[in-house]
Amino acid sequence: MKNIVKKTAFVLSAAITMSLIAGCSGNGGGVKTDASGTKTFTAFIANTGTEIPASNRMYNKIAEKTGVKVEVTYLTGQSVGERIGVMIAGGQYPDFLDGTDAQGSLVEAGAFIPLDMYIDDYPNIKKLYNDAEWDRIRNADGHIYYIPQYGDTQGKSMQTQQDGEAFWIQKQVLAWDGYSQPHTLNEYFDLIERFIAENPTGPDGQRYIGFSILCDDWRYFCLENVPQFLAGYPNDGCAIVDPETRQVLDYNTIPEAKIYYDKLNEEYNKGLIDPETFTLSYDQYLAKIASGRVLGMVDQHWQFQSAEESLVQQGHREMTYVPLGIVAEAGTTDKYFTPRTLNPATGLGITTSCKDVPGALKFLNDILEPEIETLRFWGEEGVDYLVDESTGLNYRTQDMRDAQTAADWATNNKCEYVWFPHYEGMLSDLKNAVLPSEQPSEFIASLSEFEKDFLAKYGYGMWTDFLTPVEKNTAWFPLYSQIQDWTADTTWGLASIKMDEVKHEWLPKVVMASRNKFDKTWDDYMETYGAKVDSKAYTDRLTEIVDELVSG
Amino acid sequence: MAKRGLLYRMNKQKSLILMAVPFVIYVIVFNYWPLAGWLSAFQNYKPAKGMFDQIWVGFDQFKFLFSDEQFLEVLRNTFFMSIINLALGFVFSIAFALFLNEVFQLGAKRVIQTVSYLPHFLSWIIVCGIVADVLSSDGGIINDILLGAGLIDSPLNFFAEEKYFWWIVGFANVWKETGWGSIIYLAAITAISPDLYEAASIDGASRLKKMWHITLPGIRSTIIILLIINVGNVLNAGFEVQYILGNSLVTHVSQTIDIFVLKYGISANNYSLGIAAGMFKSVVSIVLIVIANQAAKAAGEEKLF
Repeated sequence: MKNIVKKTAFVLSAAITMSLIAGCSGNGGGVKTDASGTKTFTAFIANTGTEIPASNRMYNKIAEKTGVKVEVTYLTGQSVGERIGVMIAGGQYPDFLDGTDAQGSLVEAGAFIPLDMYIDDYPNIKKLYNDAEWDRIRNADGHIYYIPQYGDTQGKSMQTQQDGEAFWIQKQVLAWDGYSQPHTLNEYFDLIERFIAENPTGPDGQRYIGFSILCDDWRYFCLENVPQFLAGYPNDGCAIVDPETRQVLDYNTIPEAKIYYDKLNEEYNKGLIDPETFTLSYDQYLAKIASGRVLGMVDQHWQFQSAEESLVQQGHREMTYVPLGIVAEAGTTDKYFTPRTLNPATGLGITTSCKDVPGALKFLNDILEPEIETLRFWGEEGVDYLVDESTGLNYRTQDMRDAQTAADWATNNKCEYVWFPHYEGMLSDLKNAVLPSEQPSEFIASLSEFEKDFLAKYGYGMWTDFLTPVEKNTAWFPLYSQIQDWTADTTWGLASIKMDEVKHEWLPKVVMASRNKFDKTWDDYMETYGAKVDSKAYTDRLTEIVDELVSG
Repeated sequence: MAKRGLLYRMNKQKSLILMAVPFVIYVIVFNYWPLAGWLSAFQNYKPAKGMFDQIWVGFDQFKFLFSDEQFLEVLRNTFFMSIINLALGFVFSIAFALFLNEVFQLGAKRVIQTVSYLPHFLSWIIVCGIVADVLSSDGGIINDILLGAGLIDSPLNFFAEEKYFWWIVGFANVWKETGWGSIIYLAAITAISPDLYEAASIDGASRLKKMWHITLPGIRSTIIILLIINVGNVLNAGFEVQYILGNSLVTHVSQTIDIFVLKYGISANNYSLGIAAGMFKSVVSIVLIVIANQAAKAAGEEKLF
């Protein structure tokens, strides 16, 4: 009896010990392959996104054609730096990875495998960019570590809506004002003030919020980078550059900065700005927009698009937004609407944890095939869209459109792999738009009667017509892509960090100060800024970079 | 002799030792082995390079830490929020246990007790959502009540002012943990001999007197033990609450050591600085727990070790 107890104890302890040891040795090699031979890769995108269920129709369709499934996960809850930092500290990565703002630290940590020796073997990937563009993507050490997914326009741009930053305003506000189009800061806030004075509450009795400012962590650019636009510069994001003299200026201290925050302070004290705006999390901010209460804000469209889609589903088209090219003074040309451009600072890379690099590359190559490209963005012919025999143009029937606006349709039926390499503008047939929403016939069909009438009143064809298009981007645009690998051990890198700290703390204070204390608070802010931020080191370094990029 | 004695004893307890082996291994592998990583607090650690290919910088990280006004601020926040949590947590849990013990209607007692545990099982993300809603200046119930009672003219912006933050955290903790915290006291109370209460009743003690003179002294040793354990946790003021409820307006009072470690160690890629801060926290915790234990011993009370 005693012997049995002893033996059992020994076996048990040995088993537990073995399992502990086994637990540490990591999971064996190779990529997960199921019975039908479909490989499953993993991917992480350091941005917000919607994960699709394994039953998604197009996900399985694409897997059938390519023999590959990629489980894509997105950032939730944490900041980019935190999530990527944890990955680097652990040294374990998904097969595909886009670190977005933290891409620099991933490259530095050696997370990506160099792609340059492979690219020539995969014609679709190779074709994605020309040699000059590949050179821009190349790291300082001469290797290409990732493939930017955005900003590669094929054919011509088919854009119908601004996807970057603008002053946004609800359509109903403009309609109420007899279809006016504010162009200056004063006109914009004056319009909102007048509207709210006459319509304090919405249809369901909730009070309107005149203006909302997102200030959650890194998303506070909605508060911070507005002066550059007001001064008539495009979204270089970290400074403004005079296109003629190529002089770099810190937009935090230009006159337009004071004009803007002075205006915000005035409106805050009038109660036009949401009093709790600076304490809202991103989710709370979106919830308020989705409730239809927020009349206007400065933001990038992709950031609040989900809230706007929710308004459409609730049937409140009049509460969706149009972009306005607001500037500080009449006569300045707005530069919000820039051509989509390659951002060489980030993209999708294959990590050192990937056990099947050729398989991963083959997948990237396969999904650029015209057939798969159409599956990704349009779906299955005959089910999701039809082709007009005579013109070769894709279109959808009203039934298809109705089906596709249902709340969970996209989750169950769409698989764009949108953070994977793709073209924008037109499909490889050079006839159809990549995105159905940008196909002219589909765009018009997607509008409500109110919206058709709305556009007609202005004589515009699409939402981007509210902005002045910038013809061509400068050689250094967007300049912010050049500062993402700066670190605190350089004077300019430190200046950039301090700049963020000071602005993040002071801008809300400046806006929330009582009206008669604004000037004093602003002076205190500028004094702190001057004392803590080495603005000269920052702009000097940027000037060097601009010169390098221009001379090429 | 002693050596033979030890071997002899070990031989006698073979099976016990064998059974303990997995757990000893577990502790070594998951609790002690990672401490080797503390070495990187004395380096300028860069990932992707081996532990011994790093640049050694001695105590530079610590020097930086203690001259960094932000770290000192974070230390202050952690300390005060912890004291507030500890004090509120003790007072509310003990008071709740005392009062619940006076409820003689068994059904009601059980219902109250169960309901009071529930918040403990909610994650902080949910609790913080509730707190944010309740305190919102845009239709939050607290502001509505205060406005309705005429105590304030315009809604208070609770999350925008530094003076409220520590108390919001403190009372969020009370809401979540009071019921759970009282379990152990309720258990201790049941161990008090009913004879004492009977004797007190005969002597004419009121219920309040009995609570004060019998129940409370009866659970004194439990209170002391828990106090010792919690003192060791004084630098663990929490992470989730401050992280979720904090915002750029209150960052000077909301950041705790754990958030600092995350921000500098992970987000800003300064792993060594983060580890140095975490190491400091652990060392202080050990010192505190030893002091509390010795103090309890000196006062002739129960002690932990």
